[in-house]
Amino acid sequence: MAEFDLTKRVMPYLDRHLSFPLLVHLSETNLFAVRDVQIAQYELAKGTNMPDYAANLFSQIYPDQDVPQEFEQKRQNTLLTHQRLQDEAQAVLDVIENPDVAQALRQDKEQNLQYLKDNYNLTLDQITALYHFGQFQYSYGNYSGAADYLYHFRVLSTDNDLNTSAQWGKLASDILSGKWDAALQELDTLRESIDSRSLPGPALNQLHSRTWLLHWSLFVYFNHEQGRTLLLETFLSPVYLNTIQTSCPWILRYLAAAAVLGRAPPAGASPRVRNALREVIKVVQMEEYQYQDPITAFLKELYVEFDFEAAQRELSRAEHVLGDDFFLGEFSADFLDNARYLISEAYCRTHQKIDIRDLSERLNLSPDEGEKWIVNLIRESRMGADAKIDLDKNVIEIFRPAVPVYQTVIDKTRGLHLRTSGLGTAISRMGVQGGGEAPAVAVR
Amino acid sequence: MSRFFRQADDSDSSESSDSEDELMSSDDEAPIARPAPAAKTGMDQFLAGGSSDSDSSDSESSDDDGPDSDDDEPQQAVRIMSAQEKRLVEMEATGKVMENALKINDWVAISNEFDKLVRMIQRQHNVSEPIPPFYVKTLVSLENSVNNALAKEKEAKQEKDSKKTSKVLNATNAKALTAMKQKLKKSVKEYETDVNKYNTDPEAFEKEYSDLVAQSAPVAPTDKAGPRPVHTDDKGEPDDDGFKSVGKGGKAMQFSSEVILKNLQAVQEARGKKNTDRAEQIRILEKLLEVAVTAYQRIRVLLALVSSRFDYNSSVATHMPIELWLSAQREVDQLVAIVAAHPAYSIQEITEDYDELKERIPEDPEEKGGIVRIRGSIISFVDRLDDEFTKSLQNIDPHGTEYIDRLKDEKVLYCTISRAQAFYENTNQDEPLGRVIMRRLEHIYSKPDAVVQALEAAVEVSDIKPNMRLASQGTTSGLIHSLCVYLYKSGNSLLRTRAMLSHIYHHALHNDFHTARDMLLMSHLQESIHSADVATQILYNRTVVQLGLCAFRCGLIKEAQATLQDIFTTQRVKELLAQGVHQQRFQVLSPEQEKAEKQRQLPFHMHINTELLEAAFLVSSMLIEIPLLASIDSDELKRKAISKPFRRLLDFADRQVFTGPPESTRDHIMQASKALQDGEWEQCRDLIQSIKIWSLMPEAAAVKEMLAKRIQEQGLRTYLFTYAPHYSTLSLSLLSRTFSLPLRTVTSIVSKMIWSEELSASLDQSGGVVVFHRIELSRAQQLAQTIADKVGAMVEQNEKALDVKMGGTGGWGDRADGNKGEKRGEQTQERRGRGDRTRGARGGARGRGARFAQGLGNEMSSRPG
Repeated sequence: MAEFDLTKRVMPYLDRHLSFPLLVHLSETNLFAVRDVQIAQYELAKGTNMPDYAANLFSQIYPDQDVPQEFEQKRQNTLLTHQRLQDEAQAVLDVIENPDVAQALRQDKEQNLQYLKDNYNLTLDQITALYHFGQFQYSYGNYSGAADYLYHFRVLSTDNDLNTSAQWGKLASDILSGKWDAALQELDTLRESIDSRSLPGPALNQLHSRTWLLHWSLFVYFNHEQGRTLLLETFLSPVYLNTIQTSCPWILRYLAAAAVLGRAPPAGASPRVRNALREVIKVVQMEEYQYQDPITAFLKELYVEFDFEAAQRELSRAEHVLGDDFFLGEFSADFLDNARYLISEAYCRTHQKIDIRDLSERLNLSPDEGEKWIVNLIRESRMGADAKIDLDKNVIEIFRPAVPVYQTVIDKTRGLHLRTSGLGTAISRMGVQGGGEAPAVAVR
Repeated sequence: MSRFFRQADDSDSSESSDSEDELMSSDDEAPIARPAPAAKTGMDQFLAGGSSDSDSSDSESSDDDGPDSDDDEPQQAVRIMSAQEKRLVEMEATGKVMENALKINDWVAISNEFDKLVRMIQRQHNVSEPIPPFYVKTLVSLENSVNNALAKEKEAKQEKDSKKTSKVLNATNAKALTAMKQKLKKSVKEYETDVNKYNTDPEAFEKEYSDLVAQSAPVAPTDKAGPRPVHTDDKGEPDDDGFKSVGKGGKAMQFSSEVILKNLQAVQEARGKKNTDRAEQIRILEKLLEVAVTAYQRIRVLLALVSSRFDYNSSVATHMPIELWLSAQREVDQLVAIVAAHPAYSIQEITEDYDELKERIPEDPEEKGGIVRIRGSIISFVDRLDDEFTKSLQNIDPHGTEYIDRLKDEKVLYCTISRAQAFYENTNQDEPLGRVIMRRLEHIYSKPDAVVQALEAAVEVSDIKPNMRLASQGTTSGLIHSLCVYLYKSGNSLLRTRAMLSHIYHHALHNDFHTARDMLLMSHLQESIHSADVATQILYNRTVVQLGLCAFRCGLIKEAQATLQDIFTTQRVKELLAQGVHQQRFQVLSPEQEKAEKQRQLPFHMHINTELLEAAFLVSSMLIEIPLLASIDSDELKRKAISKPFRRLLDFADRQVFTGPPESTRDHIMQASKALQDGEWEQCRDLIQSIKIWSLMPEAAAVKEMLAKRIQEQGLRTYLFTYAPHYSTLSLSLLSRTFSLPLRTVTSIVSKMIWSEELSASLDQSGGVVVFHRIELSRAQQLAQTIADKVGAMVEQNEKALDVKMGGTGGWGDRADGNKGEKRGEQTQERRGRGDRTRGARGGARGRGARFAQGLGNEMSSRPG
């Protein structure tokens, strides 16, 4: 199953610190040799300001060797830097935490700066110290502290680049300290700023930012309660779907999984979420040549090939893959449940008479369990009225009356008034703009 | 040197026409005259005077004759003259007047005097006396001066444009000058032999004359021969060297470097003139090249030589003779080699003015940075070579052996291009490097691997090699990738576009459909291609078509059909691919248009076989259209066709009363379609597989197999659609037997049809049968459905109309720009998902390719990058 492990693909798009949990998880799954994973962890930790952690890992990997001196030295350095930065930041913090100041601060950043400068002699450079201290704290693992400082910095600073950077830092800190609500909020603002930015640089930058955001957001979406729905909402929006297709097709696994998990969306979900499965299948099919794993293959077999046996096979493989996946591990059972439901739904819709035993087999259940499952299914689903179990022959019979003609007519005409009014607004908008350009004429 | 040429001329002129000969002599006169004063005045003076070229040549011509006349005068004063002598003196007097007139540039006077002289000579003839050498001498020197004057005038005219200081001849004078030229030409022709004799050896000639005269009058002025030999070279050319070819060392001694440069200049001045004999020029330059010693000279001569080779053929329509092309190619190679070996010489298109006649060396302090910059352009030579190659291929009958022979030259051309690339790589000249890489790419992008390998092997053995080679890149795709990447990075957008298309084409050729498609979509080319130049549009069309073929080979029938659809609906496939001139029925092309069209045509070996293309398109249309036709039961819907060209052919085939055995590809496909409609998939398969044109497709066997499988599947679908009303249940195993498909595949296909609600039926697992539920609609119900459809269509039409109004490419809120438009964008996209037809029509407005792009999903609308 190691070939379906995505850690290697995901990690390049993560921060060093965000990768630690992934590696820790890997060392638990036994997909790879523990020692290899530990070495990887050590290599990662070497680059951070966490010399103790690194030294610890080192002694784990090479128990018979002395811990190199450099860690001790680095530790000293770290402490010194910490002291220095803290002093710098403290000055600012003292001012800000003053209740008078907190009251005097307004929405307008420029004005705030001026105010601070006039009254407390606080310059932009000093405020930047907040940023540096926050960054430093992050680098030695004090995530919640980092989040605080970065937050303060962002409130005050006007520097766009640093602000963006602080946003990323805050997101990472929130993720690592497990504040999912805050992280979700942060994610949304970050997403907004990426999407709205009319970048000065090439469009490629935007693509990169989006790719990063997609990867980071996995942490949030698979830990927040409503994350899956939000994930579908975000990932299926055209720009992010394009990003997935262009630069990171492996994200499709999470998209597919989320679609299956969100089989029965909560009431009031957007149409995008409701039709998620259909969309995802389309994309999976389209990107088949680029990316394939048991989860996407399951959807493909079920909805494109209608090969229930193959779908079943893929499902059992998917179960393993899910169990080993860092993000999806917890949802393995849930996924299985939903996937079964999808299989049986598809099965029932195409069949008239179904052998319960056969179906149970398809669902990896014992006949008794299967029967229970099916009864539940019939009760829950909308075909409740049409399906009957014939216990004598041990089959389900489904009678599906043809759709009445008036119903199809209603369906066909349903959206018309909406579309027409859409046309109307478009026309009036055009009137305001003063007409469009002439149509392009195809020459060749 | 000049002597040598003259000899060469003479031997030639016996065959060639007289006028040609005359031209040569007039051309050659200038170099003849010059060595003399140079020798007299000495090198230094000449060099110093070199800066003001016109002046020095002016003084030369006067110097030439000045001493003669001075010597003559006193002698004449004392002598008692015979009648014959008197005539001679008379002649000389006229000569003197002419010389004076020459000094003040009075061509009217010269013309008059010359007429007089000619009359006198006529008289001389009448008394059957030999023509005095004086006359011949005058002719020669006059001709010289005329040429000089003409050249000067031309120069003066050019100068006049820039600064108004020069002395341009006034109108009458200029007219006289031209008249003079004509007259001279006539008389030189008349006395051709004499002039030649004189030129070969003036002394001998005069002696001959004096001997003749001595027979009649012993007092003939033999002394004249004495002071005269101004024209004979001081260097003492041996009299008899005429036909002997002289070794290189001897030449170098004979002709100092100035002579080469001067000759070169003379040739260059004659270039482009009406009466210049181009073949002769080339010959002169070839000789010059043999003589040239220094790198500077060789570069200069090569530059001139290659351009004059390209000049040789002035007509645009015909191509350059192949031998000429080959030697030009060799010379470009040579040029590149020289320049590459001597980094101190650089050839640039724009340089500062420099003295054409001066030998320049890098050590000279005048040269900036120790680099001699020479005006010229290697890249334009390479371009021209390539263009001429293409032109010759266009003109040669592609079915003859000549074409194949010519095609073999591509190898050397490819080498030349690669060498040029290597040269530019080493000298870091980005602009020409981009161009030359594009040329290289164009030679290999559409070729199969084996051919590219052969071409590359030839490059590998040459002495100058570019960095990007097959050997260093491993595969052809790697090579093309590296070439393209260079072009993507370079700033030139045209080259970038072309490189992109070539790259896509290459991917498509190698059956890498997905990569090719993604690249095409991400390049957003289909939006801007309408504004590109024709050649790029042709390349675009070729690329799209190749992509379609690639999809077909990969078994992606739907994609193939959608891609090829656009080009076939235009019914101008050949024209759009530049593989034939389209015959327009109601409109006659102007000759210019026709010519331009002809020039655009691709050489035959690059053609994409249109018959194969059509077969691929029609077969994929068949596989999509036939099940669709079967699934539709009302006539109303039948009018909607996915592939109009296919539907048209099918209708036509339907109308025929008798059908014979299939002959053409189309016949095969039409009969196969009918068989498929009737559910006889085996017959259909046999018909399709017996199409001969498949053999042109690589991996033909695999493609046929793939087609057979598709036919089975689509046959099953068609069968179900067509015969469902007649069954209430149908056994799956029977279906599986009938269509020779595994039971699983049959179940899968049927399930798919049920799931997508194409077929109102369901499976009975225990019985292994399909159960059909069919409901008959009453008339009113049918009508109600129809009206619902129509209303829907109307709204769609309205939307479409609005789309067009809002700008064909944009659409109203198609592109989600930022947050504002996003909501609307989503709506549109949803709607699009609902109505497939909208997409097609919308794409139609955008032109070819756009539809294809949309058919593949809406990612094209906003893929970043």
